[in-house]
Amino acid sequence: MKTLLKSCVLAISLLLGAISAQAQKSGGTLVFLVQPEPPSLAAYVSTSGPIGLVAPKVYEGLFDYDNDGKIVHVLAESHAVSADGKTVTFNLRKGVTWHDGKPFTSADVQFAIMNVLSKVHPRGPNTFSEVESIDTPDAHTAVLNLKKPAPYMLRALSAYESPMVPKHLLEGTDIKSAKLGNKPVGTGPFKFVEWKKGQYIRLDKNENYWRKGLPYLDKIVGRFIPDASTRTAAMENGEVLYGAYGAIPNIDAVRLKKRDDISVTTDGYSMINPMALIEFNTKKGAFVDAAVRKAISLAINREFLIKNIWFGYGKPATSALTSNFSATGLHAAMPNFPAKGDTAAANAVLDAAGFKRNSDGVRMTAVLDLIPYGEDWRRAGEYLKQAMGDIGIKLDLRYEDVPTWLRRIYHKYDFAMNVNYFYQLPDPVLGVHRHYGTNMIRKGTHFVNSSRYSNAALDKLLAAGMIEPDATKRSAIYKDVQKILAEDMPVVNLFELQFLTVYNTKLKGAYGSALGAYGSFAEAWIDD
Amino acid sequence: MNEFWSRYARNRSAVMGLGILVLVIFMAAIASLIFPDDPFRLAGIPLSVPGANGFFLGSDTLGRDVASGIAHGAKTSLLIGLVATFAAVFIGIIFGAFSGYYGGLVDDILMRITEIFQTIPSFVFAILLVAIMKPSIESIVIAITVVSWPGVARLVRGEFLSLKNREFVQACHTIGMSDMRIIVREILPNCLSPIIVVGSLMVATAILIESGLAFLGLGDPNIMSWGFQIGAGRTMLRSAWWVCTFPGIAILVTVLAINLVGEGLNDALNPRLREGN
Repeated sequence: MKTLLKSCVLAISLLLGAISAQAQKSGGTLVFLVQPEPPSLAAYVSTSGPIGLVAPKVYEGLFDYDNDGKIVHVLAESHAVSADGKTVTFNLRKGVTWHDGKPFTSADVQFAIMNVLSKVHPRGPNTFSEVESIDTPDAHTAVLNLKKPAPYMLRALSAYESPMVPKHLLEGTDIKSAKLGNKPVGTGPFKFVEWKKGQYIRLDKNENYWRKGLPYLDKIVGRFIPDASTRTAAMENGEVLYGAYGAIPNIDAVRLKKRDDISVTTDGYSMINPMALIEFNTKKGAFVDAAVRKAISLAINREFLIKNIWFGYGKPATSALTSNFSATGLHAAMPNFPAKGDTAAANAVLDAAGFKRNSDGVRMTAVLDLIPYGEDWRRAGEYLKQAMGDIGIKLDLRYEDVPTWLRRIYHKYDFAMNVNYFYQLPDPVLGVHRHYGTNMIRKGTHFVNSSRYSNAALDKLLAAGMIEPDATKRSAIYKDVQKILAEDMPVVNLFELQFLTVYNTKLKGAYGSALGAYGSFAEAWIDD
Repeated sequence: MNEFWSRYARNRSAVMGLGILVLVIFMAAIASLIFPDDPFRLAGIPLSVPGANGFFLGSDTLGRDVASGIAHGAKTSLLIGLVATFAAVFIGIIFGAFSGYYGGLVDDILMRITEIFQTIPSFVFAILLVAIMKPSIESIVIAITVVSWPGVARLVRGEFLSLKNREFVQACHTIGMSDMRIIVREILPNCLSPIIVVGSLMVATAILIESGLAFLGLGDPNIMSWGFQIGAGRTMLRSAWWVCTFPGIAILVTVLAINLVGEGLNDALNPRLREGN
C-alpha cells in the first residue's frame, strides 16, 4: 500500500514536472557575451554594436518589430498616420514608469526625438529629418508634425534604433557627456545595476515592468571576454548561454553546431543588413583620387574573404546597397565589384591614372586601420595588405582599442583607409544615406560620413529617394545613386555579413524579435 | 679560450643547446634565401595539412606558409631578444654600478627607482607599455627593456658592493685614478661573467615576452613573428593544429637552447665553480 502511494505521488509529481517544463519559467540568470566591451551605454549617442547588446534591455522604443518585420507596439499603445502622411499620432501606454520611479509621458517622447535623437544620434537626424515639431496635447499623446511624409521613420522606432530616454535626467545637461551615458535609466524590463569595467555589466529584473509577469529572468549579466577561444570555451562549458554578432568565431560556431546542447542561427539580423566595407579619406592622403579607390574595389577577392575568414557566411557585395534591398526593388548590381577580384583590371586603372611603380614595385603607401572587433577583422586586414601589395599599394596595418579608433576615424579624421562594417538597416534612408550625404559629414559623430565625400548630384538624388512614395520611381533614383557610387567609391563595399548567434538550448524565447540580440529579452527564459 | 671551451664542453646539454642555437641563427640568416617571398604572402590553398600542396609545415587560414613564417619569425625573435637584452644590460649596468660604487644616498635613490619597476609584474607592465605606445617593433623592444633591466641593476650592484673594497680597487684609489675609470676599467671587467650569464638567459625571457605579446595581439602587425603565428592560429587550434604547433615548438626549442647555453656559460665562467674543480 505504502509503495503504491509512493509511486502515485511520484507519478503525479513527474506529471506536474512535465507540465511546468512546457510553460515559461521565471527566475535564473542569463549570462551572455558582450563583445567587445562597449565604450558607454549611451544608446542615444552611439550605435556602436556592443551598446546595442545591452541598452535595449534597459531602454525601450515606441515600437518593436517581429520576425516578419511587422510593428509590435511597445511604449506606443497604438499609432495613426494621417491621410496625407504628414501627421503621425502616438497614443502612449499608461502606467509606465522610469526605473527611478518617475512616470513616462509624452514630454519624454518629445524631448527624446527633438532634443536627443535628432541632435546627437548618428542616424537620428536622418530618421527624424522631416519632423518639424511634436505636440503633446496630453501626457499620453504625442503628435509628430512632418514637413513631408516619412514612411521609413516608422521602421526605425525600436529600442535599439530610437530609444526613449528620460527628459528629467538629460534636460539641461550636455547630452553627449551626461552621466546617464554610463548609468542608463529606462523603462525596459531590466534595470541597470552595475558595470565592472573589463568584466561585466549586470542588469536586474524590473519588478515594476508594465508588462505584468515579465520579464522571466531575474538577472542578465553581459560578460566581456576579450579572447575568442575563451569565449568559445565559456559557451561550451555552459558558463555563458548566448553570444551574438560574431562573439563566437565562425570556425567555432561551425564546430559547436554539432553539439546537442548548442544551436546556431542566422535569425535576428533582418533589421540590420550588415555590410563589411572600407571607408576612405577622400580629403587627405593616398586615396583622394577616385581611380585608386576603384582599383582597390577591383583588386579585392571578396569570395576569398568570405570563404577563408568568415567560413562561408557572407555574400559578395555587388553595389553600394545590400542585395537584401532587392525585395523593395532598390538594389541594382554594378560594375567594379568583381566577386573574385581582378588584379589586372585594377593595375590597368592605376596605370591609366598615372600612378607609377617605383623600383620596388610600389605606387603608394598608406596605413590601413582595422575595426577592433575581433580576430576576423585582423585577418581581413592581413589579406588586404597582401592583395593591395599586388597592385602596388603598400599598406601598414594599425590596430587600436575601440575608443582610440573611434576618435581617429570620426573625431580627428586622421586616417586614410579604414575597414569597418555598417548596418544598412531596413531602408537605405536609415542605413545608407549616412555614409554619403554632405549633411552627414558630422565631426565627432560615429558611423556617419567619415570619408567627407560630398557630391551635389548625389545629395539631390538622396533627398529625392527619401520622400519618393512610388516604388518604380524610387528604384530608378537608387539605381542612379548606385551608379555614381560605383564610380566614385568613397566607400568600397566588401561583402554582406551574415552574423551568427550561438546559444545554449536551455535558453528559450530570446529570438522573437527581428532585432535578435538587440532586443529586450523580456520573454527570454531558462529551462533548467 | 681553449680552457674556457673545455669547461663549457663538460656540460653536454650546454653543447647541445649551443648546437640548436647555432641552427636557429643559421635558419634566421638564410630565411630570405629559402623563402624569398614575404612570409605574409598568400602562398596557396588555406589550411593545407603539413606536406600537402607544397607546404612542408602546412598553411594557415589565409594560405600563408607556416614554414616560411617560422624561418622569418626566427629573425624577429632573435633580433628583439638581442636588442632588448643589450639595452636592458646597458641600463642595468649604469644603475647598478653607480649605486654599488657610491653607496649612500645615490644607492638609496637608484635602488628605490629600481624597486618601483620591480614591484610591477613584468608581463603586465609590458602589456601596458605596448598598449600605450601602440604595437610596433620599437615599442615592444622598449617594453621588454623597461621590464628587464632591474634584475641586471641588482646583480651589478651586488658585484660592485663586494668588489669595491678589494685591495686592487684601493690600490687604484691610492694612485689617484678617477672614479669613472675605476668603475669602467677595473671593477666592471671583474663582474662581467655573471652579467653574461644573466644576459644570455634574458634573451630567452625576451623572446618569451615578445611571443606572449604577439599572442595577445600586441605584436607588430606588420612583422612576422612566432607569437603572431600562434596568436593567428589559436582560434583554430582544434581544426588546424599545425598552425600554432610548429611555431610553438620553435619557441620551446629556442628558449630551451638559450637556457642551456646560459647554464653552460655559468659553469664555464663562474669563478667559484672553477676553484671547486
